[in-house]
Amino acid sequence: MLAKPSRIVVTSVLVAVAWLATASRAISVDDWTTSPQIRELYEKAKAEGEVSYWGQVEYDLVWAGAPFNKRFPGIKVNVVADQQGPTKMIAESRSGKISADVTQQTLGSVLEVQKRGLLAKVDWSLAGVDQRNVLFDGEAGTIHNFVYSILYAKDKVQAADLPHKWEDLLDPKWKGKLVISDFLFPRLMGFLALEWGPDRAEQWGRDLLDKQGILVTNVPRENFLKTGERLLAVAEGVQAAAQYTREGVDTGYVIMNLIPAGQFLVAALKDGQHPNAGKLLALWLASDEGKALRAKLVDEPDIRPGSKADLTAQIQSSGAKVLFEDMSNFNQRAEYYKRFSPLARGM
Amino acid sequence: MVAIPSESTSARGADVGIAGGGLLAGAVLATIYLISAPLFMLLASAFRGPRDMLPFEPGTQWTFANLASIYADKTLYSAVIPNTLVFTAGSVTLTFTIAFTLAWLVERTDMPLRTTVFTVVLFPLLVPGIILGIAWILLLAPRTGLLNLAIRATFGLGGDGPLNIFSMGGLIFAQGIALVPFVFLLLTAALRSMNPVLEEASNTSGASPAVTFFRVTLPILRPGILAPLILATLVTLEQFEMPLILGLPARVSVFATRIYFELNPDTDLPAYGRAAAVALPFLAAGMLLLWFYNRMTRRADRFVTITGKGYRPTRIEIGRWKLPALAFVTLYAAFAAILPALVLVWASLFGYQSPSWAALSQVNPTGYVNMVYSARFWMAVRNTFLVAGGSAVLVTIIGALLSWTILRTRWPGRGVLDFVSFLSIGIPSVIAGLACMMLYLSLPIGLYGTVWVLILAYSYRLAVTTRLSKAALTQIHGELEEASHVAGGSWLTTIRRVVLPLLAPSLLASFVLLFIIGFREFTLPVLLQSRENEVLSVIMWKLFIGNQTSQAAAVGTTIVVLIIPVIFLMRRLLLGREAT
Repeated sequence: MLAKPSRIVVTSVLVAVAWLATASRAISVDDWTTSPQIRELYEKAKAEGEVSYWGQVEYDLVWAGAPFNKRFPGIKVNVVADQQGPTKMIAESRSGKISADVTQQTLGSVLEVQKRGLLAKVDWSLAGVDQRNVLFDGEAGTIHNFVYSILYAKDKVQAADLPHKWEDLLDPKWKGKLVISDFLFPRLMGFLALEWGPDRAEQWGRDLLDKQGILVTNVPRENFLKTGERLLAVAEGVQAAAQYTREGVDTGYVIMNLIPAGQFLVAALKDGQHPNAGKLLALWLASDEGKALRAKLVDEPDIRPGSKADLTAQIQSSGAKVLFEDMSNFNQRAEYYKRFSPLARGM
Repeated sequence: MVAIPSESTSARGADVGIAGGGLLAGAVLATIYLISAPLFMLLASAFRGPRDMLPFEPGTQWTFANLASIYADKTLYSAVIPNTLVFTAGSVTLTFTIAFTLAWLVERTDMPLRTTVFTVVLFPLLVPGIILGIAWILLLAPRTGLLNLAIRATFGLGGDGPLNIFSMGGLIFAQGIALVPFVFLLLTAALRSMNPVLEEASNTSGASPAVTFFRVTLPILRPGILAPLILATLVTLEQFEMPLILGLPARVSVFATRIYFELNPDTDLPAYGRAAAVALPFLAAGMLLLWFYNRMTRRADRFVTITGKGYRPTRIEIGRWKLPALAFVTLYAAFAAILPALVLVWASLFGYQSPSWAALSQVNPTGYVNMVYSARFWMAVRNTFLVAGGSAVLVTIIGALLSWTILRTRWPGRGVLDFVSFLSIGIPSVIAGLACMMLYLSLPIGLYGTVWVLILAYSYRLAVTTRLSKAALTQIHGELEEASHVAGGSWLTTIRRVVLPLLAPSLLASFVLLFIIGFREFTLPVLLQSRENEVLSVIMWKLFIGNQTSQAAAVGTTIVVLIIPVIFLMRRLLLGREAT
């Protein structure tokens, strides 16, 4: 018969197991940044001294400089927010010199640049990026998702009254109480059309306009929520809840039964003026560390399979179905946008 | 109306000399340079396709597809065009009524506080359109608008309303108010230059003030009124801010919003070709209006009021009408200036907190603090003054020289120049920006990404200056210049010492208008931006679309604060001229 292990032995084993678990996690975080290939790339990037990081909205970009420099000192991150970014990159490519080194855009915008051969191939595995999160044969990596939701001002709507299905918005109790962005309305309908079929999605949109009197607007929706002019902001991104709250509107979001998820990508430019720094920044942004920091600092989560974001756990526990934007449904949704846009825009 | 020998009004610049000729030729060449690229880009883009390529890319071809897809759309004829006509007619009527009344009160009467009124009237021009729109929503949203709440409380009404800013009427009202400063500035220049001798003669002859006004004053002012009227019509036609902010919720779609939607399309690359196709009717409208203007002002000698005889502008004493006049101004100021200012300042300090005494304790000046300590902000201030001021000076000088060339010389092609310079107002700024981007990427002169490219890009808007200068020159008799030549003055001396002082009100008005427009312009600098040439309006816009509303409002407030001294200075200069 084996002797019962002493308390000291058991405790030591437990401590050793805990230490190994922590150490292995620490090692895996440091691994990719300490690999020889990354160190070599870093030295080349440091010699370049800076990197030009482009996107559409400045708020989505400025957070990255400090943590990136903490990991890779000596490379200044210059942020440029430009909604005409793809046009400029295409125009500048004709002169052989592009101002951007790294671009962060929606799938559709990256596609316009990619199909013109402007993106550099990157070995995303160097940053531990799952191959499922790499697109265009290595020319782009996923970063975060635009998670469609419904936002509400917490002091004006009770949580128990909130809808959890998109069809619930047709309940007469929401008549005259809904607001939506003209930009996001047809996009939401496009996603819903993938699940419901285009005719049902179109009818739903028409009913929202004609029967529910949804207000379609071009201005930020938090003002409507704050004043109570409208109670629910439909098709907003989850991250907007935190932004609205920072601006003085205590805002909550709803996990719907069907969750459209737009996809943002990051890519390095082939003819950028700082190519090595561009690749290094792109790798870092697409890494688990970059994604985790993006979710923490600017509330932009990645909810793709394998994500450790809190929102991913919330979605999984709710049992909601996620409709990811990807190349398999991109062209179909583009056709749906063309069909639904005039409806949303009153034309 | 006094008939004046027509030969005297046609000093045909025979003695401009080499220096003068060079200066005028330089202005003509500058005009062609500044306008041809945007104009060519507009025309070329409209006829280049396919849709999913940019107009300048290899592989694009000449095509009518853009025009076909826009003009084959039935809703264009059933909804968009009728809406546009109603919107434009309504807005311009409202604008002109208010602006003319205000300009008359400020320039031709003894109403008190004229300098203050002048600045207050211009205030809405300083405020970014998006802020004006949001201010109207706060005031007149049907359910929670502050004015609606007050009316319902006062009269015991239930439900929503009674006023609704999200309607065609609301849109006309908001747009009409928004354009008043622009037309006011143009009208004050014309009224200031008017010699009252004909009005005095009419009054002396026994005509009532109303008869004098309709049968003497208005006809004399015809060039000075038509120019702002035409410009206001064209500007309203291409306005998309108010129609987007207030018309979209009301399901009212106008022509200009089509341009916006083409640039923010279903897929992710802007459809410049389709946007250009939508913009073509603006050019056609410009051509039609210019023809109308030239026809109405064809006998220029009929409008001359400034001759070799000196004159002192007189002011009509309005006596007991001073109070109603001030009440009118106050009402306008309350809606057009005070409220937007309060919204701007409140948003900069309190974000979206609803106005209340309790909210005052939550004041947050972080937006201003961040700004002051930001090197980027101060660089943007420098850039903004440089770009707005530089382009305003450039356009004012070129426009004045061009107007003189058109009116005073027999140079061939001057009619075409007049036409082309006027058409510049019909070119959407996004198309002009695209043209500059392509031009300066192609030219190996290192301007791309600098503030200088912004100055050149802003300077395609010659229509305002040429209309103003032409209208003013039409009122100046050629005998004044002839007298200077006879006395031995060179052409340059004549221009400097005779013509420019008489043109000064128009030129100053043009400069201030262009400066303000340049200060708040954001489409061009967004498209041509780099880290080195960032301006304040771009910073504000980026903060706004990033949902950093209070910081955006702080920058917006700063923009207004920086422009106000310029307006005061201009007014002082004009008053100084009047005193001497």
